[in-house]
Amino acid sequence: MLENQKCKPGGCGGGGNSGMNRRNFLRTSGVLATGIAALAAALSPLRELTDQGSWEQFFQKHYKELSKDDMDKVLARITREVEAQYQIRPHVKDYKPMDGVEFVYCLNLTRCIGCRKCVHACVAENNQSRDPEIQYIRVLKMPHGSFDMEKGDHNYAPESVPEKGFFYMPVQCQHCKNPPCVKVCPTKATWQEPDGITVVDYDWCIGCRYCEAACPYFARRFNWTTPKIPKERLNPNMSYLGNRPRKQGVMEKCHFCIQRTRAGKYPACLEVCPAGARKFGNILDPESEVSYILKNKRVFIQLKEEVGTSPRFFYYFDV
Amino acid sequence: MNGKINLVLGAIAIAFLALAALFMSNVWGRTRPLMLIPLVDAKFIDPSPSRVSIAEFIRKGGDASDYDCDVCHEKNKPIKLKFDADDNIILPTEHTNIFLQHGSHKRNNNCYNCHDEMNLSMFQTRDGKPLKVTDPDVPRLCGSCHGPTYRDWEAGVHGRTSGFWDRQLGDYQRLGCPSCHNPHSPKFPSRAPAPGPHALHPVLHAPDKTETEGSN
Repeated sequence: MLENQKCKPGGCGGGGNSGMNRRNFLRTSGVLATGIAALAAALSPLRELTDQGSWEQFFQKHYKELSKDDMDKVLARITREVEAQYQIRPHVKDYKPMDGVEFVYCLNLTRCIGCRKCVHACVAENNQSRDPEIQYIRVLKMPHGSFDMEKGDHNYAPESVPEKGFFYMPVQCQHCKNPPCVKVCPTKATWQEPDGITVVDYDWCIGCRYCEAACPYFARRFNWTTPKIPKERLNPNMSYLGNRPRKQGVMEKCHFCIQRTRAGKYPACLEVCPAGARKFGNILDPESEVSYILKNKRVFIQLKEEVGTSPRFFYYFDV
Repeated sequence: MNGKINLVLGAIAIAFLALAALFMSNVWGRTRPLMLIPLVDAKFIDPSPSRVSIAEFIRKGGDASDYDCDVCHEKNKPIKLKFDADDNIILPTEHTNIFLQHGSHKRNNNCYNCHDEMNLSMFQTRDGKPLKVTDPDVPRLCGSCHGPTYRDWEAGVHGRTSGFWDRQLGDYQRLGCPSCHNPHSPKFPSRAPAPGPHALHPVLHAPDKTETEGSN
């Protein structure tokens, strides 16, 4: 104390504590404390980003590099996160593609009545955000005698469907053989699986939306805000690449109900279709329904055939 | 010089404070609350078929006494059908609950095309094999006229199939004709559509038929 008082402010000469006296120390720490407080205040909005995932998720390896043990840990983390958020214990699984299976979807334009049940069954099955609304399927109302997509209307709301003079064309992810969305992804967060399903890893997606721009079918949806799903409508049967809850800032899209189809079941949109217009199956099986359709029915279109994406989604007619 | 620097620094500080105030008061309205989107009615996600066939009705333990034809009709005594001047069939008063419009051709709207006039609790198929009215194998009757549709149905391409696409992993159910079509008026009925996508903004560019006509 006494020694310090001997020094003049700013003028203490020798030794290790040069320039440090009580006044300087208080002044510096005061400034420092103010600065840190200001920085903390400035960064405070970051604290609100609660659903941006854990460190565990941040340092997770790419899906294709995950070992079985790694995947078990990841699934346990997702189970924990979903339970914390929704108070429902989900069954999260990582369904693998089956051998000798390539999925194909066929949609009968003669039969579709445009009731939009597929849209909502899909939302219910795949845990899409209800508000704001995310829907994988868009049903286009098209005038007879034209295939001009510009004339399609997806906001139709008549008393009853079908309306005279129109046909209805549901459009969803076409699971292209040559997918432009996969080519543009800078992080390899989306890719084509051996069974033909184009999947998205929500933990690797950085939300750049290049894929959304590349898709000629408007099949991809972006989570602009935190998705809202009411607890009572949450589907607890989840898959890693499929319907586990998404977070803000990632892309999502139709994945042929991976949690159903890789377990051998039909997708939800097919199950709910009252007109039986939707057909799904394994194209490598010559006995399957889709093989019959491609062999015997008037399969007339792969949507936007001219852009060379070669969809696995076929539209066909009766008669 | 010092005074000038202080002036500039002060101005910058005031500008930042003003910007902060503007951000706080949300002059641009960026985080406006979105329109509340109601949850969709549960009937739109219900996968059950659009109608219940008689066979299904009986299988679920329904009372089928209404379908016992022999209570009123006698076997081997065919009722003569009545037609009006325009050749349209006149249904007897006991059967006015039936709306008969099997196709648009008048000749199709004839009871004995399907029902056996000699034994009304049976159908008459084109191949002459007997089929009870309540038999679940009724597609055989429909198929005796609707050949191509029957062929597609057998292949699982017409109508509804649900359950497992992989037949090794589980069962599948294929619905018969009357689970979707009313046999007396088989045209698939129209229905109210589920709500469409909720736009966050008013729809500015609804497709305009007159404008796109020229672009073809």
